[in-house]
Amino acid sequence: MLVRDIIKGPVIAIESKTTLEGAYRTMQEKRIRHLPILESGKLVGVVTDRDLRLATSVLSASPFPPGAQVAEVMSRSPKTADPWEPVEEAARTMRELKIGCLPVLEEDKLIGIITGIDLLDALIRLTGVDKPSSRLEVRLSDRPGELARLTSFMSHRDLNIHSILTYPEGPDRVTAVLRVGSIDNHSIAQALRRAEFEVLWPPEKPCLR
Amino acid sequence: MPSVIYHPAYQTYAFGAEHPFTPIRIEMLLDLLRVLGHSVQPIAPEPATRQDILSVHDEEYVRRVEALSAGEEVPDCAEYGLGTPDNPVFPGMDLAARWLVGGTLCAARLVCEQKEKRVLQLGGGLHHARRKNASGFCIYNDLAVATRYLIRQGLWVAYIDIDVHHSDGVQEILDNEEHVLTISFHESGRYLFPGTGEIHELGSGGGRGLKLNLPLEPFTEGESYLEVFEKIVPAALQRFGPGILLVQAGADAHYSDPLADLMLTTRDYELIFRRILEYAETYANGRVIFTLGGGYSLPAVPRVWAILYLLINDLPIVHDLPPDWVSKWSQRLGEKLPPTLHDPNPGYPDLPRRAEIAHHNRREADRLLEATSRFWE
Repeated sequence: MLVRDIIKGPVIAIESKTTLEGAYRTMQEKRIRHLPILESGKLVGVVTDRDLRLATSVLSASPFPPGAQVAEVMSRSPKTADPWEPVEEAARTMRELKIGCLPVLEEDKLIGIITGIDLLDALIRLTGVDKPSSRLEVRLSDRPGELARLTSFMSHRDLNIHSILTYPEGPDRVTAVLRVGSIDNHSIAQALRRAEFEVLWPPEKPCLR
Repeated sequence: MPSVIYHPAYQTYAFGAEHPFTPIRIEMLLDLLRVLGHSVQPIAPEPATRQDILSVHDEEYVRRVEALSAGEEVPDCAEYGLGTPDNPVFPGMDLAARWLVGGTLCAARLVCEQKEKRVLQLGGGLHHARRKNASGFCIYNDLAVATRYLIRQGLWVAYIDIDVHHSDGVQEILDNEEHVLTISFHESGRYLFPGTGEIHELGSGGGRGLKLNLPLEPFTEGESYLEVFEKIVPAALQRFGPGILLVQAGADAHYSDPLADLMLTTRDYELIFRRILEYAETYANGRVIFTLGGGYSLPAVPRVWAILYLLINDLPIVHDLPPDWVSKWSQRLGEKLPPTLHDPNPGYPDLPRRAEIAHHNRREADRLLEATSRFWE
């Protein structure tokens, strides 16, 4: 999944001469928190609702008046993303720099912006929870061929895997989390156990049959 | 005398021998009612028409069901949820599915024509079917078709779904209907199919605040289930003021169900059914339609639905099952059936985390009521 797959257009941007009041109104009307700032069509900065609130706060030593220009309070030369960048790269950049958005540039032209919310949407899509499906958790040894064994098991049963994620658990094991397009993950789990997989979810019912 | 709706053609809705959604469930139920001495004389419906189906489904989807049903190749059928392990193709599937929709529609007509107040449709409840795809064993959404009909007749519909899975298809199709309240109790979608049914899914447009979902913790037991059921359903019905209740009475929240993780016993089901009948009297002039639904534990499902039949007909709940019926079906299923209508007591060993689970469900129910209350003021 690339940045270009998750940006939503058209991007809302303002000019650097816009007043703080004007920028604030745009954020309220469009229900957004981040605005790229342009000068002659070129990206020069980013302003967030937090920047505006801090700049105008009565708690500040010298608060800006509502009529000040955003150029005075914006972050200059912001970090940007490339549309062909994988989303996880963008996420890591935002996390490391502790920033809430990345304007997306294609040959110096602003074509979009991604925010934390877009990354959450991406997470939802990556985990497959936006499709009718059920969840399986299987613990695997961290060695070549284990995941293949699991997916070929699914393939033999003609089961469509909507998503598969793995994360390390200790030095030599990984947990695979799958969303499969079937209502009956319990019989899949039972069959996996018979094939000597360690299934963490769904559990075996403590009773019966 | 409440009406029962059924036609032998319902048995043609069958995905194959290994499939959990098997018509044997109804065969066992009818056989049980017969040996209990109740000669069920069902009203035979007509299959729903193509036009009826198109009141909730997209034509591009219906065309594909028809083509597959007639044995034609449909290369993109998986995009429509067809030809998958859950919803395999079988010859005649279009008509078989229209029979089930026709039954639920027939129930709706009986009530609208004031011929009947309580109706039991011995099939249907296909709550996962979406506008343009099959899902979770459901091809056509009989519940949504019947609801659309009831609204057109001027009845406000309160839909109550006790199947263990979220009623995502009904919710999707009726999301913005202002005259339909839907309440779904289900095991949390965090793990279970279809993955939806969170509290914040409250409906859209004119239906905002009228779609209620209570996701329950896996291993929820009867006491906690009843507590949140009694907290939410009467409160919602009182505010909404329905003309009729439409109930999807799936039996897969039973503790022995192989597809899910809730822990209801037949005694819990009896209490839930009694409550629903009381609510129908109090809030909907006694008008209520029950459909069946999920339910995959063959030793449990016919007993749950036999209890429903007895309660609807104000008949006493018998204690013992006829031994002949027990031995006949134990033999056929290769699985031992209990000798009594109710589950053995206790049905399963004590579970850990009972108080924690009950606490969690209580908190979710409170959150749901709080989230909906601002739409009701």
